[in-house]
Amino acid sequence: MPKKANHGDEPRIAVYICYCGGNISDVVQCEQVAKALSQQPNVVITRTNMSMCSDAAQAMVEEDIRKLSVNRVVIGACAPALHEQTFRGTVSRAGLNPYFYHHVGLREQASWVHHDDSSGATEKAIRLMMAGIAKARLLEPLEPIKLDAKQHALIIGGGVAGLRSAWDIARRGIKVSLIEKSPFLGGHMAQLESVFPTGESARALLGKLIEKVVSHPNITVYTSAELVGVKGYVGDFQVQIRQQSRGISDDIAEAALQAPLPEVPDEFNYGLTQRKLIYRAYPGAYPAAPAVDWYNCPDGHLEVEINGQFVILENAPKTFDLDVGAILVASGFRPSEPRYGEYGYGELPEVITLPQLIRLLALQKSGDKLIWNGHPVNNVAMIHCVGSRQIEGIHEPQPDGQVNNYCSRVCCTATLQAANELHKRFPHIHIFDIYEDIRTYGRGHEDYYIEASFNKVRFLRFHVDEMPTVIHASKGEQRPVLVQVKDYLTKGQEIEVPVDLVVLAVGMMPNPIDDIIRMLKVSPGTDRFLLEVHPKLRPVETAVPGIVLAGTAQGPMNIQESCAAASAAAAKVAVLLGQGRVELEPFIARVDPDRCTGSGQCVEVCCYQDAITMETVSSNGHKIRRAVVTPANCAGCGVCVSVCPNRAIDIQGWTLDQYEAMVDAIAADLPEMEAMA
Amino acid sequence: MSEKHKEPRRAELLKQLREEHHETVERTKALLKTQKEIRRQICQATREAPKSVPEIAEATGLPAGDILWYLTAMRKYGDVIETGMCGEYYLYQRVEEAKK
Amino acid sequence: MAEGMTQVDVIVVGGGIAGMQTALDLANQGYQVALVEQEASIGGKMIMLSKVFPTLDCCSCITTPKMSAVAHHENIRLMTYSDIQSIHENGEGFVAEILMKPRYVDEDTCTGCRQCEYACPIDLPAKFDLNLGAHRAIRVPFSTAVPQKAVLDIDNCLFCGKCEQVCPVNAINFAQRAECSKIEARAIILATGFELTPTDAKQEYGAGQLPNVVNALVMERLLAPTGPYGHVLRPGDGKEPSSIAYVQCAGSRDKTLGVEYCSRICCMYAIKQAMLLSGALPLADITIYYMDIRTFGKGYEQFYQNAKAMGIEFIKGKVARITEDEDHNPVVRVELIDEGSQVVERAHDLVVLSVGMLPAYDPQPKYRVSLDKRDGFVYVPSPNLSPCLTDRPGIFVTGTAAGPMDIVDSIMLAGAAAAEAAAYLRAYPDTQGIDTVREAVHA
Repeated sequence: MPKKANHGDEPRIAVYICYCGGNISDVVQCEQVAKALSQQPNVVITRTNMSMCSDAAQAMVEEDIRKLSVNRVVIGACAPALHEQTFRGTVSRAGLNPYFYHHVGLREQASWVHHDDSSGATEKAIRLMMAGIAKARLLEPLEPIKLDAKQHALIIGGGVAGLRSAWDIARRGIKVSLIEKSPFLGGHMAQLESVFPTGESARALLGKLIEKVVSHPNITVYTSAELVGVKGYVGDFQVQIRQQSRGISDDIAEAALQAPLPEVPDEFNYGLTQRKLIYRAYPGAYPAAPAVDWYNCPDGHLEVEINGQFVILENAPKTFDLDVGAILVASGFRPSEPRYGEYGYGELPEVITLPQLIRLLALQKSGDKLIWNGHPVNNVAMIHCVGSRQIEGIHEPQPDGQVNNYCSRVCCTATLQAANELHKRFPHIHIFDIYEDIRTYGRGHEDYYIEASFNKVRFLRFHVDEMPTVIHASKGEQRPVLVQVKDYLTKGQEIEVPVDLVVLAVGMMPNPIDDIIRMLKVSPGTDRFLLEVHPKLRPVETAVPGIVLAGTAQGPMNIQESCAAASAAAAKVAVLLGQGRVELEPFIARVDPDRCTGSGQCVEVCCYQDAITMETVSSNGHKIRRAVVTPANCAGCGVCVSVCPNRAIDIQGWTLDQYEAMVDAIAADLPEMEAMA
Repeated sequence: MSEKHKEPRRAELLKQLREEHHETVERTKALLKTQKEIRRQICQATREAPKSVPEIAEATGLPAGDILWYLTAMRKYGDVIETGMCGEYYLYQRVEEAKK
Repeated sequence: MAEGMTQVDVIVVGGGIAGMQTALDLANQGYQVALVEQEASIGGKMIMLSKVFPTLDCCSCITTPKMSAVAHHENIRLMTYSDIQSIHENGEGFVAEILMKPRYVDEDTCTGCRQCEYACPIDLPAKFDLNLGAHRAIRVPFSTAVPQKAVLDIDNCLFCGKCEQVCPVNAINFAQRAECSKIEARAIILATGFELTPTDAKQEYGAGQLPNVVNALVMERLLAPTGPYGHVLRPGDGKEPSSIAYVQCAGSRDKTLGVEYCSRICCMYAIKQAMLLSGALPLADITIYYMDIRTFGKGYEQFYQNAKAMGIEFIKGKVARITEDEDHNPVVRVELIDEGSQVVERAHDLVVLSVGMLPAYDPQPKYRVSLDKRDGFVYVPSPNLSPCLTDRPGIFVTGTAAGPMDIVDSIMLAGAAAAEAAAYLRAYPDTQGIDTVREAVHA
């Protein structure tokens, strides 16, 4: 229950209006707002400032609190998401309970949305501030909810980002459980041969990282495992994992790989080859034991002849629970799949994707000719920005109706790396690089562009509204395919390039993780990648406390960027769990036992497990039923408040009395003001 | 120590420092003299009416870029204000004159 | 521990956005951090900017709270106006000798009231405003400086004593001397940042002599609400420009300048400035001359498309030369690649050079880490899996000291450096990165 307020109970409110470096003051007449508010009851000081969040302005607030015995602070500034915490810290430093602070979002609610109406925005700002002041009068001191945190993190995804963050978190002394949906670790990095900008072997780098991860005593790896349920909150999530059987015991593993079995397209080679239903993704894969492809074994059975004997392998998935303090989502990307017919994809066998070319080059390790479709390749066209930088109205949308309107970051350098490798291994091949902009932005990446030019790669530049076309060449032509480009590097000439192979530099799309999004209640952005709170203030955190992002689940990144993001996410997990304790906002339901009649309607509507329950309590010798809140489980959504017939429930920090005061203040007559120019 | 005793010691210390830093002090003195002269000319040029940078430059014979720098400094420390715009140029005047 | 020695876990060198963020990420994990900044205030280059892409947040709204958090953090020892003189190993880690330069102002008593600044008679070009504006020989570095304390430029002081007379708290101290101190730490993070490629290096672009050809950081100051003029005016004569052009890759991807790499930030800052300019000067024509538009980050491509929709003109073409006409209007000679490659000359009121990034500091002599011979930034032996490891155990690198990158990427890498250093501190024997360190490339 509320403790005694600081500095006595009579509210003494300090009010500040931030210019937000022009973001607010360019539209809202801040001085006028300050003037209008200065005469409000309980307001002891009103000030404006260019940047309230600056250290000097924060020091000013602290001084006002001390010198003027201020006991409530209201600041009109940016969105609370940005700086509410900042200013809670400020008032706290001055000795005031941090919840005696109220933040009004003038930037988002007044200046940005009404940028063409200065006087209207100013009036709205005054009303919003008056509501803030009205609420401030009724603020109570609150304490954050302190909970023990499990020093254990769940990592979803065993690609390079998940592995890198696992290693960082484990080295900080925090336990890690890493789950990978497929039977093998490594993600897409395992499918690369060499990595830019160093030219190192991708598999060797990855192998060392995997070795570090699997040998670390703090890390447990679960392959063929996925998340099926989540309960709890930051510091104490109960996650449910389902793991498929490996299916093959070690003693028959090698024999099982040799067994005659049906084959399916090998996803590791993007369908260029076939693999059996018992397989090892790549030589040196971890775990070394082969896995059964249960997805292609209906009923979870596979009959296989091993050493002359028929054996029935069975999938017996097991489900288990883990208690973790934080969840790191490193669910990765998938290469975007071109639409059927896009640049001839699917229609012409000569049209492949860049990931397929990379696998093709790996599969044809020797020989002085690159063979595709049974023929030696002499001319190659590489087309950039397939499934990236799409524009509504020009590009056909993806199956979900949206276009991929973002740049995928990696494809330019990866394309030129592949072009240079083609040139190096097959110097006779003519390479045509068809692009909009070449984006070799990274450290050492421009060298690939320079080298490609040196290698006589012919660059052709098209405009997005005049996209190249890929057609079947007429009979008798030497090359099976014709690429037509309007090339702006040669004064907009229409150029026809006869080729044997067309390579589409496809972009990145997030892996389909609708189930994870639903379970974790995290949000994707408009680009479908998972959304961070703020790219600069909280770049790896989601809006859900305790759930952080790493790698390409968040957006296109190359390996280096994924590892940086993974380590940054690991640092955030270490900050959260390192002390063994987490603090939650105290904005949760509170039941007034004198008003509660035990109707139980609140329990019926509550969406959270065990957040509000009916309990039997003694009152004057009678046993009565009353609603009781379990703070750690309550999300403060307020549904219970709305159904209580007796107004017995309130959300701390956002009480009905406070709302009513705010509504009254917004609807009240404006303070006497000089004409609003 | 009382204020009375402190004063002479301060003056002495400053004198000593001026001697120690003779070279930079002399250079700065010369700079200050130039600055005072230019500020005086700017004030004179805008005495009757607010003027733009090119107008002041023409009146004083100094490069327009330099005039803008001086006006920027004088504005920052409250000696000069902008009074409005004429075409693509802002107009400047000394605070005292502008108030009249 | 020797007498007078402070012990911390990590020394962070440089108080720009990367250094501040990595210090905060370590301090929030409970590690003791010394943050050493050579300037009189932390904030680095970022605090000079107007608004930041792609969110268009006011830059101080992002930077100043971090500056404030650094100053108030119980685990961070902030040392501004300080140089690291030397580093040596003592068996357990590093000992840094730090020289605290004299401010000639008592930092504990100064309240930042700026009365000294107003009293000082001499105007000097203000570095914070890239010399467009002025400050006094004694001044608070800038309005949002942390610490908010005055500093005296002794080389331009008249010793007139006026500051001393007006100071209400007797904070001026001409007798102050540099102070030496020693800090012992187990790890060091280099966050020494970048400098801009110089505008005077390129003869074809006027060699820095054309008054109305400015670099993009100047434009940041012109656009900032705390900027020198309070408006966007051209520095040559104070005219409000009605035609502004950006020349991209002016200092990057240019063999003649020895900078063959892409500086990564210039496309986005030019587009951002163009957007801000069309807000500040709604009638102005804004043109961006570019080779390739590289808007690769999260939300950046949409930002570019929005700018095009706003009417900003993007012209593919490498600017060959900039001259000026008799009214000091810059004249750009450019091949219009999308219009049949015709060569034209176009006059603008103001030309902004989208300059690139150079390393700000050579840490090789003091820290004995190698530099990359191709770009001169700190050499990172295993950039893919360990982007913050240098070739010397215990010394890490972050932010633009490790190559050009924007603020978003710097903040991400700052978090990574904090994770890497924290793991190093805990698992002392496990000093190596994931991969064997390749042979160092010495510059």
